[in-house]
Amino acid sequence: MTQSPQEIPFGTQEAFHAAFAELYPRLVSYARRYGANFPEDIAQEAFVILMQREVPVEHPTAFLYGTVRTLSLTERRPMKNQNISLEAVAEPGQAAYAEDMVLNQEVRERMRLLSPTFREALWLFVVEGLSIREISEILAIPEATVKTRIHRAKAQLKEQLNPAGGVHVLV
Amino acid sequence: MSWSDPARRFEPAEDVQLRAELRDLLGLGAPVAVQTVEPTPELKALADDLRREALRRSRTQRQRPSWGLLAAAALPLLAALAGLGNWGIQQKHRADELTVQAQRQEQELTRLAASHATEVARERQAKEEVQQKLQLASRKSSPKTEPYLVIPVEKPLKGVSDDYQRVKQKP
Repeated sequence: MTQSPQEIPFGTQEAFHAAFAELYPRLVSYARRYGANFPEDIAQEAFVILMQREVPVEHPTAFLYGTVRTLSLTERRPMKNQNISLEAVAEPGQAAYAEDMVLNQEVRERMRLLSPTFREALWLFVVEGLSIREISEILAIPEATVKTRIHRAKAQLKEQLNPAGGVHVLV
Repeated sequence: MSWSDPARRFEPAEDVQLRAELRDLLGLGAPVAVQTVEPTPELKALADDLRREALRRSRTQRQRPSWGLLAAAALPLLAALAGLGNWGIQQKHRADELTVQAQRQEQELTRLAASHATEVARERQAKEEVQQKLQLASRKSSPKTEPYLVIPVEKPLKGVSDDYQRVKQKP
């Protein structure tokens, strides 16, 4: 079940170009959100690593996102903080630029108020449109944990919109 | 390898609904229909460059040794180990044989020593019997005699010869 890189890795040339055109900007944006200094290089390296593999991956999109995440965190290794979350590394000059491209100010503020752990899963699920299984592969956590984080993010969002909701006040 | 991810293609309806609810909570609105991105010539050129880079790396990358190569590399070591084991087994057999031989020799020596001791004891007993018989016979045969008186005889004095001249008078 091995696939030589000399073979056409993505079916046809046109399919590969279309997939690259769809995913490359998203991966650059994703790397930039992690505060990568060279997000374009990281996204391109992720593609090269994917095409270099002899054994095809089951979920290439998840593989690319996971590789970009790992490379972005590795680029920041001198900070000695590999467990940082998506928003924890947001720098005003870089990550905010990525947010501005996708989200408006109100949405960005709602995302900022979420817990960083939940925010990362929520971003991948809603904004990037990835599936639960893909997110579990990217973050290297079980699918049940991804669902839990997303549901807790949803609860926090509801709490933001209706702070007094569900609270019984004795008169 | 296909870019279309089956995990996303067959996404459960509850996940789709959850994503829609979260988009509403975030204020993102309805999801935009996925549009096929037409790759620009620059993106196509970049994709082809990345593919060529993956090919180049896969050709120049040091291949992992296969199992056959590992087995061939380990063959001399295995042969040496087998030879050493064979030599050890032979040495053990030889040591066992020598041990058995030494035990036999020891038993033989013990047996010879025991027989020799028996022979010596028998001869000694016979000798004592003969001596006793001789003593008894001598006592019966010889009459009683007085003990001899032995007078020691001095050696005769050597006679003084006269054929010498006294050269000094006594005072």
